[in-house]
Amino acid sequence: MGWILPELKTITGNFANVIHGLNANHLTDQVIQRSKRMILDTLGVGLLGTSTEVCHKVTQYSKIYSSDISSTIWGHLDFRLPPLYAAFVNGVAVHSMDFDDTWHPATHPSGAVLPAVIALSEAFPQKKKISGLDLLLAFNVGIEVQGRLLRFSSEARNIPKRFHPPTVVGTMGSAAACAKLLALDQLKCKNALAIAASYAGAPLANAATQTKPLHVGNAAKHGLEAACLASQGLQGNKQILDMESGIGAFYTDYNPQALPTLQSYPWLLDQQDVAIKRFPAHLGTHWVADAASSVRRKLVESSDNFLPLDKIEKVILKVPEVKYVNRPSPTSEHEARHSFQFVACSALLDGSMSVQSFTSENIHRPALQELLSKTQLEHPPDNKPSFESLYCEVHVTIQDGNPISDRCDTFYGHWRKPLKKEDLEKKFQSNASSVLPAEATEGILETVYNLEKVEDCSVLSTFLSGQSASVLSEKLRFL
Amino acid sequence: LWETVTSSFASFIHAVRPEHLSKTVRQRSKRMILDSIGVGLVGSTTSSPECPSLSQELYSSVAVSSVYGKPGIKLSPTLAAFTNGVATHSMDFDDTWHPATHPSGAVLPALLAASQMLPPSTKPNGMDFLLAFNVGLEVQGRLMHFSTEAHDIPKRFHPPSVVGTMGSAAATAKLLSLSTAQCGHALGIAASLAGAPMANAATQAKPLHIGNATRLGLEAALLAARGMEANPLILDDIPGCSGFSAFYSVYQPKPLSTPSDHHEFLLEKQDIAFKRFPAHLGMHWVVDAALSVRNLFINYAGSFSPSLIRTIVLKIPVSKYINRPFPSSEHQARHSFQFNACTALLDGEVGLSSFTESSIHRQEVRELLDKVVVEHPEDNVANFDKMYGEVALLLHSGDVLTGKCDTFYGHWRKPLSKESLLKKFRSNASHVLPEEKIEAIITMVDNLENLSDSSQLACKSWGIIWKLVPQKELCLDIF
Repeated sequence: MGWILPELKTITGNFANVIHGLNANHLTDQVIQRSKRMILDTLGVGLLGTSTEVCHKVTQYSKIYSSDISSTIWGHLDFRLPPLYAAFVNGVAVHSMDFDDTWHPATHPSGAVLPAVIALSEAFPQKKKISGLDLLLAFNVGIEVQGRLLRFSSEARNIPKRFHPPTVVGTMGSAAACAKLLALDQLKCKNALAIAASYAGAPLANAATQTKPLHVGNAAKHGLEAACLASQGLQGNKQILDMESGIGAFYTDYNPQALPTLQSYPWLLDQQDVAIKRFPAHLGTHWVADAASSVRRKLVESSDNFLPLDKIEKVILKVPEVKYVNRPSPTSEHEARHSFQFVACSALLDGSMSVQSFTSENIHRPALQELLSKTQLEHPPDNKPSFESLYCEVHVTIQDGNPISDRCDTFYGHWRKPLKKEDLEKKFQSNASSVLPAEATEGILETVYNLEKVEDCSVLSTFLSGQSASVLSEKLRFL
Repeated sequence: LWETVTSSFASFIHAVRPEHLSKTVRQRSKRMILDSIGVGLVGSTTSSPECPSLSQELYSSVAVSSVYGKPGIKLSPTLAAFTNGVATHSMDFDDTWHPATHPSGAVLPALLAASQMLPPSTKPNGMDFLLAFNVGLEVQGRLMHFSTEAHDIPKRFHPPSVVGTMGSAAATAKLLSLSTAQCGHALGIAASLAGAPMANAATQAKPLHIGNATRLGLEAALLAARGMEANPLILDDIPGCSGFSAFYSVYQPKPLSTPSDHHEFLLEKQDIAFKRFPAHLGMHWVVDAALSVRNLFINYAGSFSPSLIRTIVLKIPVSKYINRPFPSSEHQARHSFQFNACTALLDGEVGLSSFTESSIHRQEVRELLDKVVVEHPEDNVANFDKMYGEVALLLHSGDVLTGKCDTFYGHWRKPLSKESLLKKFRSNASHVLPEEKIEAIITMVDNLENLSDSSQLACKSWGIIWKLVPQKELCLDIF
């Protein structure tokens, strides 16, 4: 058939051209800075997540398959896994506690991409080095594709109800990022997207269960697999993004658009930052936590510096209507992380939320259970289920006292009020140090901060496995 | 005791026994098993599964499972299932049910792989295997009855990727004797792995749908065996937070009755269609109609003389993905009413060789295709139970010859005879297996209920001697 010109007329072809054509020069300073923050946060969250039960289960499962080619399992020096399963396990770790970043329109962008590109970077033959800049570029391609796809449907603007977004756009983003890292040509980039679509899409109902973290793990793994299959020459539908029976199958309204031209490419991450979580629970609960903490301070001030628990009659939370985060009495950690009520009561009791708030003892403590029984939700019509516009009000009525309330429009960590550098680092250190020695956590910090100058990004994987410092100092070379 | 739909499915999978299989069901399902193996064997010769070599490259693992017809290649169980599933659907030669799906390819490879995984002391016998297979079919059929959409030829999600994944999970859960709760979780985990859009049909990626259905369902069951938990209401209707309902716009789930003394399997009332040539089921109607009018034409004109034909009118149902006036690849040709009709007219038959590159691009075929006009009579519904195919030859002389087919030979209303089914199997299997193996498989399947170790079926099908792997290398302590 001869030479086939890239089909510029199709959206799919256009995406393939952009994935193929973007290079390091296109990355702006802000995009570089923001994406490095995302990378750091994701690594920390993933390292912490390796200690979870869900992660233990998928690790045991994945160990059925050993391999000659292998990639690092974050936090582990004792074994490695084939790249696909490394991407899977690390992706599960990242989302295991719902501690990873969130974007607008809603998805968890980094967890679906970073584990895949890091695992893939380790699978290249020795002579081919992947630089930090290669990794950073591929990562951003993966984020960008997700953001663009989310804009193809107005449904995506709101908190989801049907398909869990990381499983739809995350799989596609992972495929795009891996295609970029593999330096696939336009045709193969198209096929990577097409093949990935056939892996995409998991229903929302598994949110707030142990299976939810697998959504991100699978997105990473399947996107990587799609890129590898495309690299081998497997072909799919070249109009996968154009057709309603393609990616459109996951939406009831679907309007795909072409990407901007490569000339001074306008990255979405430039215009729209991510939210970084301060504690491991659904993003919607972060508004609740800030409002509840503030109400607690007021309560304590007005009651001679102690919390008048038994005087509390009612706690009313004014939140948007989001069924899967409405849980009056959660019994598992997964449910607790998806419960407006639980977070409000925890924050009222303790003053702030942390990783510890979700332990079994804390979930089941009597004081909390009692407060939960007094808690109700209200859904004001002006409180839209969108991470861009939602708010939370906490109203507490007390015996013989005035009702106390507060409102949170923008929690600290939201893109409108991003975490300061020190606080981002503090979160990372707290997470990573639960699994890695100090030299490794320092090494990761330094590597990520200087990622665009790192000659050989495999040093990142080495730190992630917790290997000893002496090996590393010689490896950490900057351009 | 009010039971959820999901728990009724879990109970059924767990509690159903071989005694519940009626004679008809046993007989029909054994035919399906035989056909599926044959189709997988011939499919393993196609270029479509680059998968085995890819899988080998990415994971040369502690391999215990082998691949249809490929001596020397061993893969991990889920990848063997994947590869064999892809092979089964690679030529669109596998069975089709009503409501529409390809049931066997999604279940059999998983069971064959799982049977090889289990330690020698707990090998399932032939009856266990047959039961598990039927559980896999039954679950698929029951799920399709949850939505009226499923009765018609699909438009949005490819059914094998939706119900096939669930069937594979159910069948594997049965073979592994998981508890009721674990069976439920297997379904829940599988739902998060289900669902591929239709757009990849008629491309090289389509066979992946079956490959992934069987492999991911197997994975879901393996994860459930390890204690992974999902949403216990995954099949139920959960307003505001979609479970399995995500894949349908109309969804009315119904509980399965626990098999007491008598459970009627859907296969009892609704048989399967076996294909006579490797193309989409819809093609079979137009081919039989074309063959019929070809005979009339030969009687009329003495021989098949295309120059006498002015127009060829095809009366077919509306279905975009199988309406292709000028297919350019084998995958497109298998999904083209026009191509199949013209090939049948020209050659007097349609078979494996009809879809080679040279056959597709024959000048005589192109000339006939130029004469084709398509009509969509209102009474021709896009439904495998109701559709028909009509081919009319409008001759230059003014005469009109017509052939119509309501029920092609191989359809469930006119099932293939035992001889025809064996002929198809022998023809397929002979591409990769020697005669003794072929006859051995036929005998084994025929006497499946009496087989003491069903992993023997896998060994024979895959053409090599299975080597025992020391048990501690397999992390299979699932009991």
